[in-house]
Amino acid sequence: MNSNTVRAAIGAVVVIVAVVLLIVLGGSNSDSAGNTTKGVTTITIKHGKPVGGIAQLTYNEGEQVRFKVDSDVSDEVHMHGYDIMKDVKAGGSVSFDFPATIEGVFEAELEGRKEQILELTVNP
Amino acid sequence: MTWLSSLLPVAHALVARKDLPVPAWLFAWGASIVLIVSFFALSVGWRRPRFERDHWRPLDARLSRALLSLPAQVVYGLVGIFLLGVAIYAGLRGTEAPDRNFALTFLYVTAWLGFPAFSVVLGDVFRPFNPWRAVGRAAGSAFTALAGQRPAHLRYPERLGRWPAAVGLLAVVWLEIVYGASGGVAVGLDPHAAAVAAAVYSVYTLAMMALFGVEQWCRTGEVFSVYFGMFGRLGCFGTQDGRLGVRRPFAAATSWATVPGSAAVVIASIATTSFDGAQEGAFKSALESTFNHLVDAGFGLTAALRTTDTIFILLTFAGVALVYLIGVRGMSGVPRAPSFEKLRSGFAHTLIPIAFAYLVAHYFSLFVFQEQAQFTYLLSDPLGTGTTDLFGTASSGIDFQVIGSNAIWYVQVGALVLGHVLGLTLAHDRATAYWGDYRLATRSQYWMLAVMVAFTCFGLYLLSVANS
Repeated sequence: MNSNTVRAAIGAVVVIVAVVLLIVLGGSNSDSAGNTTKGVTTITIKHGKPVGGIAQLTYNEGEQVRFKVDSDVSDEVHMHGYDIMKDVKAGGSVSFDFPATIEGVFEAELEGRKEQILELTVNP
Repeated sequence: MTWLSSLLPVAHALVARKDLPVPAWLFAWGASIVLIVSFFALSVGWRRPRFERDHWRPLDARLSRALLSLPAQVVYGLVGIFLLGVAIYAGLRGTEAPDRNFALTFLYVTAWLGFPAFSVVLGDVFRPFNPWRAVGRAAGSAFTALAGQRPAHLRYPERLGRWPAAVGLLAVVWLEIVYGASGGVAVGLDPHAAAVAAAVYSVYTLAMMALFGVEQWCRTGEVFSVYFGMFGRLGCFGTQDGRLGVRRPFAAATSWATVPGSAAVVIASIATTSFDGAQEGAFKSALESTFNHLVDAGFGLTAALRTTDTIFILLTFAGVALVYLIGVRGMSGVPRAPSFEKLRSGFAHTLIPIAFAYLVAHYFSLFVFQEQAQFTYLLSDPLGTGTTDLFGTASSGIDFQVIGSNAIWYVQVGALVLGHVLGLTLAHDRATAYWGDYRLATRSQYWMLAVMVAFTCFGLYLLSVANS
C-alpha cells in the first residue's frame, strides 16, 4: 500500500466513526434529558437507613426542590452544597423546600451517622 | 444482593458537589474534533524535529542570583517544611471531619493538584519547596561540616530507575481513594490517617536520601519530586549549572524518560485518574458485582470494598500499559525502527500532556471549589475546632456558583482535546528524530495516533458517564 491509499483508508474510517458516534449519541440524547422530579418526595428512614436505597431527585436550575424526610432516628439532615441543615427527631419528619440555584450533583446525609439518603441532581 | 450496592459509598470525603456528566452532544463534538485533528496531523509535513533540544537561554544574571541564592533556597525550604508540618499537626490534632481539617485539602488538593498545574506552565516549582530535599540537604551540609568529608552513599541500582516513584504514586492515590473508602458509610480518608501516612513517608524518604543521596533519590525515587517534576518538563523555566533560564515550552519533556521506569510513572498517573473517574460511572456495575461476590464470600464490607478497588486500580494500570505497549509494538514493526526498548522509553513523554489533561478533566471543579475552602476557613481554622479564627475568614463557605456546569464541561473537553494535540505533536516530533525519513516517521505514527485517540476518547467517555 502506498501512503496515499493508507491515508484515504484512515480518512474513511475517521468519517465513519465520527458519523456513528454522532448518530448513537444523538439518539441517546433525547431520552436522558427532561426527566425532572415533580411534587414532594418523601424519604423514609428506617433504622437509620433510607428505605429503598439512596433517593434520586433531578431538577432543572430555577425549579423548586421539595422533599420530606420521615425518620425513626434522631439526627441532623445535611443538604450538602446548599449547606442546609435541619434537625429531625425520632419518629418525626422535616421538610425541605428551596430553589435549585446551584448546578451539580449533591448529597444529603444524616450528619451524625454519615449515612447518605439523597442524591440531588441539578441540571443547567 | 442488590441492597448491597446501595452500601457502596461515595468516594471523596471532601466533595460536597460532583460534576454533572458531560452531555452527549459535547462528547460527540469532542470526539469528532479529536479524530479530525488527528487525521489532519498525519497529513502535515512535519519533517524536522523541533523539540529534541530545549533551546535554554539564561535569564538576567542578577535576577537568577537573587532567586537561586543560598538564603533564598533556605527560605523556600523552610516554607515547605512549615506547610508540611502544619498539615501533619492539623491531621493529628484537628477535627476528624475531613472537609473541616486543613490536612486533607492541603495535601490532596492544594499540593497534589496545584503543583502539576503550576509546573506545566513554569517548570519544576516543587523542587525548591520540597521539604524532604531541604532537610536532606541541611543534614548533608551538617555532616560535611562536622565530619570534614561529604557523606558516602550507596550506588543506586540503575535498573530500578523510577519504579519506586511509580509504585509510590499508586500508593498515594490508593491511600486517598481506596483506603479512605469504607463499606457502609459515606466517609473518606480521615485526616489522622493522612497525617500518619505523611509522617511515615517523611521518615522513609529521609532514610532513602541518606542511603542514596538527596539528588539521586529526588531524581528517581521520591514520589512527589518525580511526579511533579514530570509535569515541570512541559514548563518554560529551568535551571542549568546553577542559573535560571527560559527554554522552549514542552521541549524539556523529550529528555525526561531516559531513566528506566519513567513510562510506568506516567502510566500510573493516567491509570489512577481514570480509575477515580470511572468508579462512579463506567466501572460502577463491575465494581458492584465484584464487591457483592466478595461480601458473599465472607469478606467484611470495608475489606470487600478495598479489595475490589485495589483489583480495579491494578487492572486499570495494566490496561493503560497494554494500550501503550501495543502502540510501541506496532511502531517497532515499521522499517528501520529502533529497538522495542528504545521506543518504549522514547515515546513515554508523549503521554505527559494526556496525563495532565486527565487531571484537569477530573479534578478542575474540585480544585476551584476546594481552594475557596483552603484560603478561607481552612486557613483561619486549620484544626477545624471552631474556636480559632486567625484571619477572620473561619465562617466563610464555598460558593458553588462561582463557575457553572457549562464552563466546567468546556474546560474538561477542551483540556482533553488540547492534551491530545500536544501528545500527538510530541510523538510526531520524536518519530522524525528517530526515523529521519519523514514518510517512515508518519507511518510509525499511525500506531501512536491510535494510542492517543484511544486515551482521549476513553477520557471523554469517562466524563460523559460520570455519576450516571
